[in-house]
Amino acid sequence: MEPMNWWAIIAQIFWQFIPVWIALILLFSVSFIYKKRLGLYGKLYDSAIGLIGFGLVMFWVFVGVFGAMDFIITHDPLSQVSGMKNKPPGTPMRGATAGEFGYYLLGGDNLARDVFSRVVKGAWIVTQIAPLATLFAFMVGITLGLPAGYYGGRLDILLSFIANLILAFPVILLFYLLVTPEIVATGVPSYMATVLFVFPLIFAGVLLNSRFHTQPKVRTPLLIIVLGIMFWTYLSLVSEPGSKVDLLPSSLDLFDIPGGILVVFVSVVFVNAPTVFRIVRGLTLDIKTRDYVAAAQTRGEGSWYIMLWEILPNARGPLIVDFCLRIGYTTILLGTLGFFGLGLPPESPDWGTTINEGRKLLSIYLHPALPPAIALLSLVLGLNLLADGLREESLKD
Amino acid sequence: MFHCKIVFSFGEKMNKITYQDGPILEINKLSISFFTRLREIPAVMDFSVNVQPREAVGLVGESGCGKSTVALGIMQDLGKNGRVVGGSIKFKGRDLSQVSDVELRDIRGNEIAMIYQEPMASLNPAMRIGKQLIEVPIIHEGISEREAVMRALEVVRDVKLPDPERILKSYPHQLSGGQQQRIVIAMALMSKPSLLILDEPTTALDVTVEAAVVELVKDLGKKYGTSMLFISHNLGLVLETCDRICVMYSGEAVERGSIKDVFDEMQHPYTQALFQSIPLPGADKNERPLVAIPGNFPLPHERPKGCNFGPRCRYFEKERCDVTDIPMSLVPSNDRHATRCLRFQEIDWATSGGSVEEKEKTKIGDVVLKIEDLKKYYEVASNTLFDGGNKRVVKANETLSFEAHESETLAIVGESGCGKSTFAKVLMGLETATQGQILLDDRNIEQVPIEQRNKKTVGEVQMVFQNPFDTLNPSMTVGRQIIRALEIFGVGDSNEARQQRMLELLDLVKLPRSFAERMPRQLSGGQKQRVGIARAFAGDARIVVADEPVSALDVSVQAAVTDLLMEIQREQKITLLFISHDLSIVRYLSDRVIVMYLGHVVELGSTEQVFSPPYHPYTEALLSAVPIADTSVQKQHIVLEGDIPSAMNPPSGCPFHTRCRWKSEVPYNLCERDIPEVQELDNGHQIKCHLSNKQLDRMEPVIKIAAE
Repeated sequence: MEPMNWWAIIAQIFWQFIPVWIALILLFSVSFIYKKRLGLYGKLYDSAIGLIGFGLVMFWVFVGVFGAMDFIITHDPLSQVSGMKNKPPGTPMRGATAGEFGYYLLGGDNLARDVFSRVVKGAWIVTQIAPLATLFAFMVGITLGLPAGYYGGRLDILLSFIANLILAFPVILLFYLLVTPEIVATGVPSYMATVLFVFPLIFAGVLLNSRFHTQPKVRTPLLIIVLGIMFWTYLSLVSEPGSKVDLLPSSLDLFDIPGGILVVFVSVVFVNAPTVFRIVRGLTLDIKTRDYVAAAQTRGEGSWYIMLWEILPNARGPLIVDFCLRIGYTTILLGTLGFFGLGLPPESPDWGTTINEGRKLLSIYLHPALPPAIALLSLVLGLNLLADGLREESLKD
Repeated sequence: MFHCKIVFSFGEKMNKITYQDGPILEINKLSISFFTRLREIPAVMDFSVNVQPREAVGLVGESGCGKSTVALGIMQDLGKNGRVVGGSIKFKGRDLSQVSDVELRDIRGNEIAMIYQEPMASLNPAMRIGKQLIEVPIIHEGISEREAVMRALEVVRDVKLPDPERILKSYPHQLSGGQQQRIVIAMALMSKPSLLILDEPTTALDVTVEAAVVELVKDLGKKYGTSMLFISHNLGLVLETCDRICVMYSGEAVERGSIKDVFDEMQHPYTQALFQSIPLPGADKNERPLVAIPGNFPLPHERPKGCNFGPRCRYFEKERCDVTDIPMSLVPSNDRHATRCLRFQEIDWATSGGSVEEKEKTKIGDVVLKIEDLKKYYEVASNTLFDGGNKRVVKANETLSFEAHESETLAIVGESGCGKSTFAKVLMGLETATQGQILLDDRNIEQVPIEQRNKKTVGEVQMVFQNPFDTLNPSMTVGRQIIRALEIFGVGDSNEARQQRMLELLDLVKLPRSFAERMPRQLSGGQKQRVGIARAFAGDARIVVADEPVSALDVSVQAAVTDLLMEIQREQKITLLFISHDLSIVRYLSDRVIVMYLGHVVELGSTEQVFSPPYHPYTEALLSAVPIADTSVQKQHIVLEGDIPSAMNPPSGCPFHTRCRWKSEVPYNLCERDIPEVQELDNGHQIKCHLSNKQLDRMEPVIKIAAE
């Protein structure tokens, strides 16, 4: 068989992404019709920059989702095919069986795996970990930043000092320390996970209790259900058989997070939370002087109600923007971690690891490193544009 | 006739346009629109005004009427969305729309200077005052730095700031608000402009400081021969400063003329309605209540056909007022007096128009709230991180004692820093008292913080806040916010009951029930304030602390909100503690008045006692400072020197002695040494002053209404 030329490759890639295009068109047309009713998200459709950013982000999200369902990929991202090592894009597969796609669209990597399929599979890992890790960082930052700003005083001084301490610590060194086997053996990362992952529980518990404490009939069952489910998830998340934190018998353990991913998660949350903390603290300092906060105080609301229901919703604008930007940073951070070979297993198709693999032979073979690099670039660019668009639109009324 | 000569060169020296005759500023049929994504929004339509040399013209109207847009139009600074779509602005005979950017830059600051509302925002916080001042003539006239410094010193002296050398060396944050505004005025005068535009220059200042600044502007206008365009929402201020007035409504000038003509022989229903909705001396909440203008200000894109004021006008005639655009027509026999009304010659302006219903005076009941020797001190440590250091005590409230009765309105009057808000905080339980007691129905509450108060007490003492744009949580619906208050106060057993009660509360404040679903940003300022009132009454409040509830509202809305408070008071017999600095409204609605200065109660008595001599010297100055929009009122002219001292560092002895004009009458320097004792005059009228009875009796009334 002849190798494919560039036009054919591009056409074929476009064809492989068909489910993504359909999903994007559906999403955009439905949102466009109802944009008047969709609040800030709807207003995004008035800003060209925000729309381009949103399109890029959603493209990779859909690639991740459909890739995970094995729709887009042409080959198994982990299987090696003899004779395909470092082959250029469009190389036909030798001895392709019937029903198997006959080409490596973007060539093969150093271990003769399909670069295209690895990039698509990697999208799922990136679009999963980065937003989740950012979400956890926000939970921690918000739960600590609100009281620091609201109460002020010694609590504020203490928390701000700790935040500055963490921010002053070199990030890469911190990561190296966290993944060092000796340190993993002492259980430090697991203990950190135990502490950091408790914050969403605190957050949800306080949020619901402060809102419904006047109606015990609603509050008690609601809290039991929500906190019960969250606590179980939490235990499943932090407990891992054989590690230092082994709390749950394996029959009740819902899922196991591979140790590497847990470490990545913990470190990303750990370094992002202080920055979020500072933003939330600053916003709280500003909003707590408003009259509606005073009105809540004069009718005897609890402090946590004021923080979570009066202050936090009105700080949402800057927080949403920062959330988008921070997913971008986290994505790059994950790339950096993968690049240093930290955290994720070496065969993982995530983009950072793939770029690192490709780097070793970069002077001879460009094609294994380039596609994941472009993917990372376009996702982060999309997130930044989206954040810009949101910021711009949230200022208009 | 017109002689214009423009000498212009870069860098070196820029001459002013020499110009002899005709008006300085001539605005002819000006229309300005803003263009948004959705539509064109006309902000100003068919607006004409002339400013003659040495003349001060007032531009009056409610917020959103386009008065600031006119100012920006004159400066040709409308931003990228705004554009002049019709008419012309001529400055000294030159059409400003034809002038190039470079020439415009020369005119701005040099020929036309503008003074804005917020002094701190107009000064560069990172630059010394002196440097900011000398910049103006150095850039515009190319004079040497030495010469510029000399002129700066002179101008700073002209704006009556003490110690000009020191002021020039200081940074803006080292000056008080009043001093900053004087510097802004000085900066505007540095290049000796021909036209000064003042956009609400005193709104951010305290009343006594405002009076001094207004006085200054008036004097300087005369001294420098500058024409002025004075933009304000306050009719009283315009009366005191201007020669002519132009009243705007919804983008149009509705009436234009000399102060005397417009104030005494108004020829437009809006002007009339405006005057009826502001509390002038003689208005009384029972016998002569204010008349609010019905309806709401139309949004720029929802203006009615024909007369913009039509839907709210009591003289509205169908098929006539709502047909075509209405032109300005001259009022015969008056000098340059014009009105935008078709029916002005048919209306009998002498009668007040709408019927005024008299209301029954409420009976004042038993004592509900008793405050005895209440003190609130704050300890301010100079450094929060390391303890020790030197702590300073701020005496925010000093021995307050008074009683408040059922269905009584008790006004607490004073300028910023007088401790009125601190008192409100202590009463609400946000702070605890240092000493003394607060008795609510014989229960002590001064040491009970709000978390420990029971639901009933919290619900009984509630508050209405000042800033309508801040009083509601912007991300919660109106109904939800009221229901939350009901939940907290334990009203109603089920969600349905609370929903029902919430709708009743909306009825109480006269808002349509459909507003429950609205978000606060969809409401106007007055409507928000009504929701704030509804929320305060969620727990069947008996004592309501209203902290300047109407000062941020437009005058026509003020009357309606005040009225609502009075009506609720009549129905529910609440005690209203009305905190305000606006003496006109206090005189109108309160039964008794407390005047506070730097934490002290300096005068206490019934409204009549406080508003007529003998006064405390501070009350006297305060009364004189309040601008009154009535040409028949003669005021004694008392301008207080200096600013209010800081509560961190109060003067020794009587807190007011630094600004008191009666100080010299008291022997042995008593004022500087001792805090005066409270003197009981007749019938519960208390004054905290060293002046003897004889001296107090010599005081003359500040406000006299000329016999007609």
